[in-house]
Amino acid sequence: MITTSNLTKTYNEVTVLNIENLEIPKGQSFGLVGNNGAGKTTYFSLLLDLIEPTTGAIKSNGVLVNESEDWKPFTSAFIDESFLIGYLTAEEYFYFIGELRGQNKEDVDALLAQFEDFFHDEILNKKKYLRDLSKGNQKKAGIVAALIGNPEVIILDEPFANLDPTTQIRLKGIIKDLAQTKGVTVLVSSHDLMHVTDVCERIVVLEKGEIVKDLATNPETLKELEAHFSGVAEV
Amino acid sequence: MFKNFISLEWKQFRRASYFQKGLAIKILMAFVVLYFGGMALLFGGGVFFIAKKAIPEVDPIETINKFLIFWFLFDLLFRYFMQQLPVMNVKPLMVIPIKRSTVIHYLLGKTSISFFNILPLFIFIPFSIVLLFHGYAVLNVLGWFVSVVAITLCLNFTNFLVNKNNAVFYSILTILVAFVGLEYYNIFKVSEPIGNAFNFLYNNPYIALLPIAILVLLYKTTFNFIKKGFYLDDAVSKKVKQVNATDLSWMNRFGSVAPFIKNDVKLIWRNARPKQVMMMSFMFLFYGLFFFTQETYKEIPALLAFASMFITGGFLISFGQLVPSWDSEYYKMLMSQNIPYQQYLESKWYLMVFAVIISFILATPYIYFGWDIYAMIAAGAIFNVGLNSFITLFGGALNRVPIELNVKAKAFSNTNGFNPVQLLISLPKIFLPMILFYIPYKLIGFNAGLITIALSGVLGIVFRKYIFNFIVNVYKKGKYKTIAAFSEKN
Repeated sequence: MITTSNLTKTYNEVTVLNIENLEIPKGQSFGLVGNNGAGKTTYFSLLLDLIEPTTGAIKSNGVLVNESEDWKPFTSAFIDESFLIGYLTAEEYFYFIGELRGQNKEDVDALLAQFEDFFHDEILNKKKYLRDLSKGNQKKAGIVAALIGNPEVIILDEPFANLDPTTQIRLKGIIKDLAQTKGVTVLVSSHDLMHVTDVCERIVVLEKGEIVKDLATNPETLKELEAHFSGVAEV
Repeated sequence: MFKNFISLEWKQFRRASYFQKGLAIKILMAFVVLYFGGMALLFGGGVFFIAKKAIPEVDPIETINKFLIFWFLFDLLFRYFMQQLPVMNVKPLMVIPIKRSTVIHYLLGKTSISFFNILPLFIFIPFSIVLLFHGYAVLNVLGWFVSVVAITLCLNFTNFLVNKNNAVFYSILTILVAFVGLEYYNIFKVSEPIGNAFNFLYNNPYIALLPIAILVLLYKTTFNFIKKGFYLDDAVSKKVKQVNATDLSWMNRFGSVAPFIKNDVKLIWRNARPKQVMMMSFMFLFYGLFFFTQETYKEIPALLAFASMFITGGFLISFGQLVPSWDSEYYKMLMSQNIPYQQYLESKWYLMVFAVIISFILATPYIYFGWDIYAMIAAGAIFNVGLNSFITLFGGALNRVPIELNVKAKAFSNTNGFNPVQLLISLPKIFLPMILFYIPYKLIGFNAGLITIALSGVLGIVFRKYIFNFIVNVYKKGKYKTIAAFSEKN
């Protein structure tokens, strides 16, 4: 589904990302972990063609993302608050995204109805602009907006940060469901090792832009990751 | 403590991203500042002689005193529009052991040295010096000068108190318009009693204590006002208003452009900065008054062509030059969605066209200056719709300045307008209508000039698909640069 080959990104002669080869099959829930500056967001930005690769390329569903725009209809993402339009209410934002993704109002309403639990009555009908919501609630709105229009690839950068525990648990359910039953490829980055091992079938550890571990999740994975990161701390 | 604050501010200033721009812009900025400073100095030095020449039988100081009321009202309006209240980055200071009153005194002190208080000095100091040279009594001039400065500072703090209040703004605007109107039609001259009051003040310098007393009072009021509000709840965290979501679904008739138009209307309506641009663009409507009322300009019709273009082009120019910057806050999201650039641009274009039409309707009173002038404004409007709009959109595509939507623009603190590319792009906006008019006008006649201007606009409308395509390519080419520039926070 997503093939990364010889991908590097260099800023002022500092290489921040260097991935020789990475294959993510369709329907996988894929977790990306690493300390600050490891290159997680850089990788996601390259996936969304928001920055230009220095060398190499990413192919998504056969489409070279930095050459064609045909990946856009089946890809969606929530990276940070800059994906929200602050002066819209949550509903207006959802409908706008819906219109961009060829969904009418009823389609969007039907989707939103499934997330009533997740919203916890803090998003819809609040008569507030998105810019006036709390960080956590903004995130909820952004994540759900990324699910509009039946995308086949969903990219979420740090989705668990800023969320309350109840919402974190619900979000884990949503992500698992997407990958396991709907065949959606979900890419998630996180600093929270526990969440990411809970939710992802596969976990890749980035360190200074390079892949240092590529694990299929099993009951031992969390321990292994913890050992790895405490090791990093001791060095 | 103040020393620490100042060093913090200095760092904020030095390290702001616009300061790290190229040398060219710095030089340009310096020129602009010098220009305004120089103009103010010249005006301050010259106004004595202007007044003397205009009304020789009256003492110039009395003439000036008459007009002070209009100056102050205008000053207040201008401040309301442009003066950014110096909300210092106060959040990190609240948990540090500094006396609250120290911070507030510092804040208020800082407002006193804003551009809006310094510019009047540039006018009133040379004026006072000229007065002294002409043998006016030192004590009287000094008293007068101190009063004027005190009143200016009073306005400064008044603005602080009423800045959030639209009702106050509109009442001041109404008062100003009413005064000017009454004055113009000789119904009631407000300038007489106020002028007399200032004359009395001039003749009795000790009265200067009165404005000073008011100033002290206002300072105290403002101080208490801020002190009361100096809690995270209301001062730092934003006020959240209930939103009345407007139903814009009737706009769906615009077809594939509809989602963007609906968004753009909300963008303008719900954010401080675009609202400010919209209000400012009304000022352009009056641009013609400068030109059409002066006999000298009738001799140079090319200049009139330029003015006519400006009358209907206010919103078009000021809004259009910042496309796509208006969407900078969420540009990354737009770029990761399946956005058809063409429709995105068309939406902005429709808005600009709509604004030109509205301005054209509002410009109907210009018929008073003759049908020739009105025909010229009509030709200018067509030029705006068909050609100027595209030149502006093209310029905008090269202008990669992030905008904070819900923050009013500050006077002279952002370099948004002073981008060399922007400057180059604005040249055709100014000269094209003049050239388009002038050549056929010289060769054939007045009407030929008008027709050429209008025709250029019609051509633009006819070929707009190609022009849009061309601009879309600029967008595509600059994609990464634009994203990078927009994600740089001010």
